Amino acid sequence: MRKPPYDIALKPYGKALLELAQRRPELLCLGADLTRQTETDLIRDQMPERFINVGMAEANMIGIAGGLARAGHTVFVNSFGVFCTRRCYDQIAMALAYPKLNVKIAGFMPGVSSPGGPSHQAIDDLALMRALPNMTVFDLSDASEISQAVSVAADIPGPVYLRLKRGEIPVIFGEGHVFDGRRAHLLSRGTDVCLVASGMMVPATLAAAEVLERSGLSVAVVNSPVVKPLDAATILEAARPTRLVITAENHSVIGGLGSAVAEAMAEAGLGLRLVRIGLQDTFAESGSREFLFDKYGLSVQAIVNGAWQTLRPGTEVPQAPQQLAEPGTYAPV
Amino acid sequence: MQAAPTPDWRHLSNLSIRIKLNAVRMVAIQGFGYFGQALSAAEMFAVLYGGSFLRPGHDRFVLSPGHYVVVLFAVAAELGLIDRKHLASYGLDGALLEAISTERSPMVDLTCGSLGQGLSGAIGLALAARLAGDGRHTYAFLSDGEMEEGQVWEAAMFAAHHGMDNLSVLIDANNSQVDGAVTDVTTIEPLADKWRAFGWEVFDIDGHDLQALYAALAAPRQGRPRVVVGRTQILARIQALPTSTDAHFVKLDPALTAAIETELEAQLA
Repeated sequence: MRKPPYDIALKPYGKALLELAQRRPELLCLGADLTRQTETDLIRDQMPERFINVGMAEANMIGIAGGLARAGHTVFVNSFGVFCTRRCYDQIAMALAYPKLNVKIAGFMPGVSSPGGPSHQAIDDLALMRALPNMTVFDLSDASEISQAVSVAADIPGPVYLRLKRGEIPVIFGEGHVFDGRRAHLLSRGTDVCLVASGMMVPATLAAAEVLERSGLSVAVVNSPVVKPLDAATILEAARPTRLVITAENHSVIGGLGSAVAEAMAEAGLGLRLVRIGLQDTFAESGSREFLFDKYGLSVQAIVNGAWQTLRPGTEVPQAPQQLAEPGTYAPV
Repeated sequence: MQAAPTPDWRHLSNLSIRIKLNAVRMVAIQGFGYFGQALSAAEMFAVLYGGSFLRPGHDRFVLSPGHYVVVLFAVAAELGLIDRKHLASYGLDGALLEAISTERSPMVDLTCGSLGQGLSGAIGLALAARLAGDGRHTYAFLSDGEMEEGQVWEAAMFAAHHGMDNLSVLIDANNSQVDGAVTDVTTIEPLADKWRAFGWEVFDIDGHDLQALYAALAAPRQGRPRVVVGRTQILARIQALPTSTDAHFVKLDPALTAAIETELEAQLA
């Protein structure tokens, strides 16, 4: 595992999709007028016969994808996360999830990573997709995970939702990081607090773990890119020796990773305190990633606060150092 | 699309009547259901299947309004495509033939209970056929009420843009939806003009006219998707049904069922 600021990769999804299309003749890619933004300009330009721009018509795109999949194609549909989940939810339920068709939904710009305000911020996409039977849900954090997730998703029979950061993608994990579409990754063991994170909250969680360790707490860290089906065994194993579980997701605390972990803990009878870091049942606003992650409680400091105020109430909270990302690198807020 | 060279009109007429007979007996099992849909769409299904336009196992069939599946099962049983014995348990708990079609229903490549979605799926099937070059034709059956859903028009726009001449749509324009007449709920007319404006080849015909239906499906293709708007009536074509009947969801008691059967049997030639 590397240390922040992280190097940046560009278009890991688009590159992996193009490579997979070259290996799999049945693969098709559908878009809805966001081609460059979803990294699918690569496949559009190099394999135009595999790319169909449906236009600004997400409901129609989902239906067409279902028809193509019934005829034997593996179909990747692409848009921003808000538009390809919330806007066409019944279509996804009826045209893809119920018939368990081989359609993979790539939703970009998760949570408050978009400066575009509530219309562009997918804060409930994990909840929506997780509620659908037959749906697999990934919230991916780094370039290596994203690259591997494309072929992993294609091999899963049935629909998959891939939640993807847009633009500059951090390289967090080193060589040998295996994303298999099932397992969570136990990154460190500890006895005081267990941090469980997915997607864009993984860098902040790793940084928070370092601050807490330096301040004398023993911290377990789990990267959980598969939100459904949740790898409850790995998460519970990491959590069991601790006194507190903290989940961190760039999403509403309702229905996403935090809810999934809460359900797993309760069903296993693991009676630990739980703090859910994420949007606290609120829509956000326009703004930079730095501003929004700080304001809506998705920062390194917010995770540190959550752990410290629960385990060491009334004592001075350690402060997370300011992470400075040079241009061309990535650091959590 | 390989229509028989000389259509047997008597056969098609009898087939359409037998579809209605099967349907009234199926709906009578529970005493309520989608008999009105058979009254308006029987001729369309008779021509599509009995006129050998749709080649079962090769061409694709999309039934967008899933509650019309009673008509499809009725024609399938007549043509030996499903075992007639299944009709007797239509709509009952655990039966193969459900009242609104599902993923496990026979005879459909794609069906929807949530309306307005069928045409998009049909386009997917037709695109796949075009990519494969396998010569399959995709037929999609739609109802007029579902034209109120915006997705239909997203799909219509796409199909015309892509010149999908391996796609045909049949619309049962019976002016009936759950809350009453379509014209009372939200006007969708001028329907033919709308499809024309969207770039489709349009046949606006009497949906009970076997020869007009046959001609519309048999006409040479013009490089565009085709829609057949079949103007139909539910109640006017059967004397036994009171004019106060809820056409979308007909209630049948044994006496009414018997009267309808008698009336239909008298029409057989």
